[in-house]
Amino acid sequence: MANYCVQTKNLTYSFSGKEAILKNINLEVEEGCIYGFLGPNGAGKTTTLRLLLGLLKKQHGSIAVFGQSFEKNRLEILKRTGSLIESPSLYGHLTADENLLLLQKIYQCPKERIRKVLELVGLTQTGKKKVSQFSLGMKQRLSIAVAILNSPSLLVLDEPTNGLDPNGIIEMRELLKHINRHQGVTILVSSHLLTEIEKLVTHVGVIHKGSLLFQGTLAELQSKQLQQSVLAFETGNDVMALRIIRDNELSATIDNGRIVMEMMEKEKVAFVNEQLVNNGVSVYSISITKNDLETIFINLTNN
Amino acid sequence: MNDYLRSLQSEWMKTRNTAASWLVIIGSFFIPLIMVIIGMANADKLPGKYSSPVFWQNHFAVSWQIMAFLLLPMGVILATSLITQIEYRNNTWKQLHATPQRFAVVFFAKLSVIILMMLQFFVLFNIGIYLSGIIPLLFSKTAAYPVQGFPFVFFLKNNAQFFIDCLPIIALQYLISLQFRNFMVPLGAGIVLLVAATFAIQWKYGYIVPYTYAALNYFQLRSATTQMVPVNIHLLAVGYFTLFIIVSFIFYTYKKDKC
Repeated sequence: MANYCVQTKNLTYSFSGKEAILKNINLEVEEGCIYGFLGPNGAGKTTTLRLLLGLLKKQHGSIAVFGQSFEKNRLEILKRTGSLIESPSLYGHLTADENLLLLQKIYQCPKERIRKVLELVGLTQTGKKKVSQFSLGMKQRLSIAVAILNSPSLLVLDEPTNGLDPNGIIEMRELLKHINRHQGVTILVSSHLLTEIEKLVTHVGVIHKGSLLFQGTLAELQSKQLQQSVLAFETGNDVMALRIIRDNELSATIDNGRIVMEMMEKEKVAFVNEQLVNNGVSVYSISITKNDLETIFINLTNN
Repeated sequence: MNDYLRSLQSEWMKTRNTAASWLVIIGSFFIPLIMVIIGMANADKLPGKYSSPVFWQNHFAVSWQIMAFLLLPMGVILATSLITQIEYRNNTWKQLHATPQRFAVVFFAKLSVIILMMLQFFVLFNIGIYLSGIIPLLFSKTAAYPVQGFPFVFFLKNNAQFFIDCLPIIALQYLISLQFRNFMVPLGAGIVLLVAATFAIQWKYGYIVPYTYAALNYFQLRSATTQMVPVNIHLLAVGYFTLFIIVSFIFYTYKKDKC
């Protein structure tokens, strides 16, 4: 049985008694994994993460972190958790060092951690520069430094690449991979862009309109991708081709001037081709169209 | 207790270079500076003034006049709102509440910082009062150092009373500031209550308005018997402070959204 670092059961939440923002969310984040929590804007990602950190009062369901009830062990859990929720939470009138120092007092971690995390995020040269003068990328990196200051076992990051340029996104990805591999930190990272995190995560959860539509490993999502691949025939007479295929008790549709069928074994492809040619339909090309992960994500959230 | 002290240390660090910290420093030396200028401008009257057997009491009372009525309450309103604004402006409530601290620790550490800043103000203001009593002498050839010794007990007692009298303002402003993200709400509420208090002083039941106590204490200091109130305003101030802090703590703890 998998060891879950974060596990929610039937987590349901609504603002002021209105329609539920979250509906029975059963999140299962395995220890040591990088879990990508995906969903379009307004899907309920931030609300879920806020509930996990106790920033919102839980209404229904249960939350367990490190196998302990969050409600009963809030302080112990937060001691081992680092977080970045949405935009950077930093004191603009203080320097990077000062921002970390005031949290170091709370976490009671060694002072050397400040230098260490600044090195890790590449911000050792900021000196007396106030955080308000930092670029968004620098702020985002400092926020990561804040999140890992206490050497957490769990890192909860809500859209950490927001506002970063492509280079910044790659840097952030490498940094998170490094933290996960070398320090064994479980990372729960949310995003609304699958392409942005598919190179980072090992597990994926897709949320839409407050419901968890998919949860599993990235490999499982990729096999879904294979299942959703389609076969396309370019023919001289699509209407006649469609009739011949249906006469052979197979299903097909016409899409963009092509006959589109579900993926099938190669013998079956040869059979369809033979039937079409024997009945006088010219076949110009046969191709396989793979749905990329982004399309699957869109399909999941659109359905 | 250790958690509280660590949190207090952390909260105090946040005030570095903030408007609130500058307000305390500038605000505490503003009146003394004016007193020095007035003293220097009226150098010929200094010998008579300094020979008074109650020079320091008079000097203290004059220094507190505008402070008690306007500047102290206004400063408290501003400083309290600015301290809580540090979290709102930097969007850091969520980070703060995701640290392993009890909500009570965060609440009281922040409140303590405001109170410490007020204490800092009182210390600096009194240093300013003393200096504004001494500096004009440097520019006068005829006036001498006051014949009266420095009345430490008088200063301590009256400062303590003014300090207690502004506690309800701190507590109510803290309550409002914690509930509203918009800086204008606590500031506006504070100004409205202060104006109301100014009118309430004339009323015989004015002492029920918690923003009147510094002004009423000033009247008592000057022994303006017509303005004396039938109750102990300092006890009332402590009562209001306790009440507002309890309400504020309940609101803060049970706030559903801690972002």
